[in-house]
Amino acid sequence: MFELKPMLSALWRNKISALLIAVQLALTLAIVSNATVIVQDRLEKMARPTGIAVSDIISVTFMPVPVNYDMAGAVAADLELLRNMPGVVDATVTNQIPLSGSGSASTYFTEPNQEIGGENANYYQTDEHFIDTLGLNLVAGRNFTRADFDVIGPNDTYEPRVAIITQKFADVMFPGEDAVGKYFYSGGDGEPREIIGVVERHLGAWPSWSKAGQVAFYPLLVTGNHKRYLIRTEPGQRDTVYKQIEEKLAERDPQRVIHLDTLSKRMAQSYISDNVMVKVLSAVMTLLTFIVALGIIGLTIFWINQRNKQIGVRRALGATRANISRYFLVENTLIAGAGLAIGMAAAQVINHFMVNQFSQPVLSIPTLLVCALILLGVSVTAALVPAIRAANISPAMATRSV
Amino acid sequence: MLKMHNIRKSYRTDTIETHALRDFSLQVNEGEFVSVTGPSGSGKTTFLNIAGLLETPTGGQYLLDGEDVSSLNDRDRSRLRNEKIGFIFQGFNLIPDLNLFDNIDVPLRYRGFNAKERKKRIEKVLEQVGLSARAKHLPAQLSGGQQQRVAIARALAGEPRFLLADEPTGNLDSLMARQVMELLEFINEWGTTIVMVTHDPDLARRAHRNIQIVDGQVSDLQHGTIGAAREIA
Ligand SMILES: Nc1ncnc2c1ncn2[C@@H]1O[C@H](COP(=O)(O)OP(=O)(O)OP(=O)(O)O)[C@@H](O)[C@H]1O
Ligand SMILES: [Mg+2]
Repeated sequence: MFELKPMLSALWRNKISALLIAVQLALTLAIVSNATVIVQDRLEKMARPTGIAVSDIISVTFMPVPVNYDMAGAVAADLELLRNMPGVVDATVTNQIPLSGSGSASTYFTEPNQEIGGENANYYQTDEHFIDTLGLNLVAGRNFTRADFDVIGPNDTYEPRVAIITQKFADVMFPGEDAVGKYFYSGGDGEPREIIGVVERHLGAWPSWSKAGQVAFYPLLVTGNHKRYLIRTEPGQRDTVYKQIEEKLAERDPQRVIHLDTLSKRMAQSYISDNVMVKVLSAVMTLLTFIVALGIIGLTIFWINQRNKQIGVRRALGATRANISRYFLVENTLIAGAGLAIGMAAAQVINHFMVNQFSQPVLSIPTLLVCALILLGVSVTAALVPAIRAANISPAMATRSV
Repeated sequence: MLKMHNIRKSYRTDTIETHALRDFSLQVNEGEFVSVTGPSGSGKTTFLNIAGLLETPTGGQYLLDGEDVSSLNDRDRSRLRNEKIGFIFQGFNLIPDLNLFDNIDVPLRYRGFNAKERKKRIEKVLEQVGLSARAKHLPAQLSGGQQQRVAIARALAGEPRFLLADEPTGNLDSLMARQVMELLEFINEWGTTIVMVTHDPDLARRAHRNIQIVDGQVSDLQHGTIGAAREIA
């Protein structure tokens, strides 16, 4: 029943408009599929587990006004106050806020006085409450104790004796080995740091960093001109506790500038470029698909109007309504199929370029096929309404129109 | 073969209602060659369209081959058009994008014949109209008379019992018109019933019977008079 051969020869005689739509579909597929892999990659990146109880955590940064400020005393008093507040699970002191986009990193070695072949890790100076506060999962060894904790001045030279590291960092430093009890070194000075515990996951300061998740923690307070706290609240209590923290801290010591944030907000800020990328590319994909759908609707309507008489003649010669609709749908599918086939090749060429020049992710065949199928669906849907309308053209068109 | 009783057809637009046919009654017998004449706008094409199931009447009864076709759905009407009726139009109405072979193929595909059967039939009718050598040509590469012969071939390929022609020679010069007329007469001799609308009185006279339509009705004065001598007994 399909009239493929005569349909193809009829198409051949209208090849310019057919080609235009095919090329438009090809370009759309090439762009949409490549945008899809980028969007997919960014979404996956943003959906990565952080290992941290992000939505229950509040961060506090404060800067004392007086010059000779008792930072160690203030930290101890603040933490005491925070931990005893209703709705608070735990609180910890830290030099940097995780996932915020700012932090410190260093190069570490497995041998003393080693100078090449080190591994990078993001590090934090914190106390024995960091695991509970962040909601981390200690998978080996032990937590810090008060005895491990040290307080030093900003200009003191000091080497931490113990550290807790993430599983990811443990795996790159000591592949296939149990890291607990092992020593590692910072730079050329050769003072050993013992790994006393391993936490399952902590994404660190920079979610986009290639070494994100390689993190070390030291039980240390360096008194400086500002300090930070992280406070974990009971689930659902964050926003209530948030207001109280501001008041309580100011009340305890009004001689300082305090800034509060939720960790969710800090994390969203460091994913902002990914988020914008996802939104822009999604908008571009939608727009292109919409334009190609309009093009197909337009062309189908144009062809049907052009072939009004022919449709009437076909009806007079015995075509049913279904024959007429199907004719235009099959014709549309042929054009779309050809366009999408070209588009698949073009998509891979573009992706090859994107991978090499901009280190974008590789476009997989299944992703490409799914994109092509979706566009085929869009194309058929766009042709559907005009094709059904064409079936309503009266057979009398054969004798009536000129 | 064809029996119409009190057929009415009116067209309604926003402002006016046109009665194209009123109380139109007519019988055409198997094997007849009937010519239809009448002034412009009198309803000739409307009659042909209803006879050929291209349009449905507003009222009245139409029996085709004894079957009341007014109640049939679109699918069945399409099938009847395809199997029983052949059309020839004034403007030839070949599909410009298809070569002659593929043009004649159109109704045969709707019929559901296999490729071999279709090829056999197409070659046969092309031979009958003397255009075998042009099978791969496009309609635009042919003269008007040749195009009309292809259209006749297309109408014949399905071996219809009933051939409807609306001014088949209207766009042709007299020589070509005569050729087409001879072809139609030949087809009729082989048993196909033909109803032909024409403005040409000479051609009309060559039919077995001429009916004149005036103002949407069969004119009584003319009914059954012209060409009565040639009527099959
Ligand atoms: N689709 C339509 N809508 C409205 N009026 C119509 C339509 N088709 C035909 N008519 C009217 O019906 C009447 C009969 O038209 P018809 O085409 O049958 O005439 P005709 O005898 O074939 O004329 P001609 O010799 O010019 O071809 C005319 O008045 C015409 O204007
Ligand atoms: Mg007419």
